[in-house]
Amino acid sequence: MQTPVRPPLRRPERGRVLGGVAAGLAAHLGVSVRMVRALFVVLTPVALFGPLLYVFWWVTVPLGDAAVLAGVKPAHQSRLAPVLSPARVQQLRRLPWGQIAVGTGLVVAAIALLLNRSGSSIGSSWLVPVLLLIAGVALAWSQLDAVQKERKVEARNRVSVLRLVGGLVIAGVGVLLLVGKETEPAVLVQTTVAALAVLAGVALVLAPWWLRLVRELGDERTARARESERADIAAHLHDSVLQTLALIRSRADDATEVARLARAQERELRAWLYDDRPEPGTSVVAVLRATVAEIEDTRVGSEGEAVTIDVVVVGDCEPDQNTDALLQATREALLNAVRHGRPPVSCYLEVGPTGVEAFVRDRGTGFDLDAVPSDRFGVRESILGRVRRRGGTASVVCKDGGGTEVRLQVPRAGAATEAADQPEERTMQS
Amino acid sequence: MSEPIDVVLVDDHLMFRAGVRASLDERVNVVGEAETVEQAVAVVRERRPPVVLLDVHLPGGNGGGGAEVIRLCQDLLAETRFLALSVSDAAEDVVAVIRAGARGYVTKAISGADLSAAVQQVAGGDAVFSPRLAGFVLDAFGTAAGDVATGDDELDRLSAREREVMRLIARGYSYREVASELFISIKTVETHVSAVLRKLQLSSRHELTRWAAARRLL
Repeated sequence: MQTPVRPPLRRPERGRVLGGVAAGLAAHLGVSVRMVRALFVVLTPVALFGPLLYVFWWVTVPLGDAAVLAGVKPAHQSRLAPVLSPARVQQLRRLPWGQIAVGTGLVVAAIALLLNRSGSSIGSSWLVPVLLLIAGVALAWSQLDAVQKERKVEARNRVSVLRLVGGLVIAGVGVLLLVGKETEPAVLVQTTVAALAVLAGVALVLAPWWLRLVRELGDERTARARESERADIAAHLHDSVLQTLALIRSRADDATEVARLARAQERELRAWLYDDRPEPGTSVVAVLRATVAEIEDTRVGSEGEAVTIDVVVVGDCEPDQNTDALLQATREALLNAVRHGRPPVSCYLEVGPTGVEAFVRDRGTGFDLDAVPSDRFGVRESILGRVRRRGGTASVVCKDGGGTEVRLQVPRAGAATEAADQPEERTMQS
Repeated sequence: MSEPIDVVLVDDHLMFRAGVRASLDERVNVVGEAETVEQAVAVVRERRPPVVLLDVHLPGGNGGGGAEVIRLCQDLLAETRFLALSVSDAAEDVVAVIRAGARGYVTKAISGADLSAAVQQVAGGDAVFSPRLAGFVLDAFGTAAGDVATGDDELDRLSAREREVMRLIARGYSYREVASELFISIKTVETHVSAVLRKLQLSSRHELTRWAAARRLL
């Protein structure tokens, strides 16, 4: 048996109190969160060791979900995975009440200090400005969280800017209070202006370097995205196409099987390359394609040859009871066409605003519906009856030049009112 | 039997070119081959064939593939007609070559006899619609009953008759079968199909322009 792999050290986004350090450590070490937190508190009196350690880890440990990182996901799954899961969106939308409370407290403290200073001077209050300074720096640093998340969420950006500005203001006030304790207000203003000018100059000099850094980061990100896309495609080709080719080579003397394998692979590759992969249960077209795939995979034609069905679809909608009946009838019609007709077999599905139509066509000799004995249920019940019971129309047309076409049409459940009372009739008849 | 039609075959896969050459019947005569955009333009300009069989995806040029070849040969379109041949089902591929000026679009699964017939049709000035292309046209122009063109000059909508023809082609009908189904002559069917092709090329319909704009084809 394999020993379970220790999850990597990450700061989780959920279940955190401050920076997620304790929660991350607990998950990494496999101990309870409470114990870790208690340890931090216990270590506080020892020369502030606990908080310092906490801040150190807060800054250095990357953000992330250890559980997600530990389970290695296959490339094709991560490709389909939504960028933002609903839980995460909710997490982002929640207001940061804790931070707002801390910020408000700090601002109130700053104003109180200023008022206090302009009124009666408190001589030995260097402690308060220092605390203010630390609080400002902490507020600015706390946005490291936001930077590490590689998501451009508008609200998140605004909050991080607010944090930066607020932190700067609070820290600046702290510094001014600390340095200018004994000086005149006029001198204080002068030095402030001078300091700001120096800062602006430095920013101007460093700007190009910073811009280049940002651009390089962007380039690197695109390169990484391209790389993962390529790995994704390579993984898919290996999983499906190479295996099918190997199968085809090993069964080269069985023409039907080779044709079937090639067709199945072609279908899969097409779906992977061109389809927009609708959610299951939301697309009539997807259901039809699955039906056709099943028939192509499992049936053979009247002379034992591999089957190919050309499918053309126009529009799409969510399946309902009517379209289900239509698709079942279409399936029966396709099976008939494959079994008794002649290729090429074509299937056309059109989803209109009021109804859904399906046409199944083959080039066989056709048959006379009236000549089919009435005890044979195939066509009459499973194709025509099924659709008519849904308030639709159905007919079988045989052409002079050869070929049979089954024409089916049902109203869409939302569009036609008379379709609403059909289910009862159906239970009575079937 | 009339003279065989000269054709230039443009595709970047040697194996596929060999396959197409072998499958074409005596109605068609392959006079040149090319596998990149530059080669294709050079060969077409040199041979001046009545028909070019053109793959949608080609290396070289500015990455525009088959559509780029047609655009670079714009001055020859009166005498040389392009028939796009592709494995792709993607709407943007179809739109790209048709809007660039191709006279038809068939998928590579087409049989040799059908392809030869399609070449003949294109050489005769007609448009060639595969069921899939017809399905795409219906998708782009809409199938709602009220959305019907009333005049010939209306480019953004299909007339009721054109829509009927497109639906039959999408259902797998040949032009002959369409004609007998609708009790019209084959010539009339061809006129309708050419009209639809023209609309597809010139229409400013929202769906078409969106696709084209998104791929910087305009």
